[in-house]
Amino acid sequence: MKRTVLMLAVIAGVAIAFGVFSGSGRADGIQIGAAVENFSLPDLNGETKSLNELKGKNGAVLVWLSAQCPVVKGYNDRILEISEEFKAKGINFVGINSNATESLDWVKSNASEVGYKFPILIDKNNVLADKFAASVTPEVYYFDAKNVLLYHGAIDNDRSGRNITTQYLRDAADSALGGKAISTTRANAFGCTIKRAEKQ
Amino acid sequence: MKYALKFLVSAALLVAGANCVFAQLKSDVAETKPKVVSRVTKVDDAALMAALKPNGKPLVVNFWATWCAPCIEEYPDLVKIDAEYGDKIDLVTVSLDDVADIDTGVPDFLKRMNAEMPVYLLVSQDETALIAKIRKDWSGGLPFTVIYGKDGSEAYFKEGKFKSDVLRAEIDKTLGK
Repeated sequence: MKRTVLMLAVIAGVAIAFGVFSGSGRADGIQIGAAVENFSLPDLNGETKSLNELKGKNGAVLVWLSAQCPVVKGYNDRILEISEEFKAKGINFVGINSNATESLDWVKSNASEVGYKFPILIDKNNVLADKFAASVTPEVYYFDAKNVLLYHGAIDNDRSGRNITTQYLRDAADSALGGKAISTTRANAFGCTIKRAEKQ
Repeated sequence: MKYALKFLVSAALLVAGANCVFAQLKSDVAETKPKVVSRVTKVDDAALMAALKPNGKPLVVNFWATWCAPCIEEYPDLVKIDAEYGDKIDLVTVSLDDVADIDTGVPDFLKRMNAEMPVYLLVSQDETALIAKIRKDWSGGLPFTVIYGKDGSEAYFKEGKFKSDVLRAEIDKTLGK
């Protein structure tokens, strides 16, 4: 009896450790203030690129994108503008596409149509999205030069772009580069759910 | 006498025929009774939170938008569930479409769906705070469906497209079936 109870406790412990009992079914992701390990993914030409080789001298912004999401389409002009502005500040944008429903050709033609001037990495089977617990597009993760997560969430507080009152990502970078504390480190917004691969 | 009998039989047949025609007409009227297509009500954060309080029965809430492909795919199931469960549950949907679509895109879609449930169009003052109020670990991804028990406690939630049989089973569970 004692042995059975012990075995059940061990099984439950292992299950909790692997997030089996997690309500969302996904890990909690990267926490603000935590450093992310370097990772590598193929770009649109099939060449493997790592975070460490793509980031700028002051860090990087990972932005989860989609070729079909209308919210991303609504943000594209702002993404292009902010990515150029950030590049000048030593913070490089890196696009990630984790949508199982979007083919490489589609992502490629969309990227050239939009005119993204930063690399886009293909996250097959949403491995990176799962690791980061990325859920929607667009969703950004802003890291400093040591890969420490400083801000996670929405780019600003208005999908339409007409009534923006808070520029979450810009404010976070301005504070970090100015040596000040970031007032908002996490902001959610409505967006398209990342279309994850069906689990076998 | 013979004529009287013929008259009575003819009159009886006439009345029976008329009844049949009348009954058919009544049934046609019932079948073609115009549906009450969902009305779209614009709400702010406070009004939405007030609308998400159950009214003595389980409440199913679906967050969606016409720009969200999986939302559009699952909407016919919501319409069916709304019709099947009738008064046993309340079912409302919350559109995250642009307010400019309140008189065009959103009602046009609902009309095509033959939707009858109440529909709110959210104009949020603070999406981050509102999303966290609805569910702490909701990222804001659409579609999002939540079932509240009649006491207001969350009984089930799904971020992403729901499976119809799973949602029905969860509603049944909440109803205590």
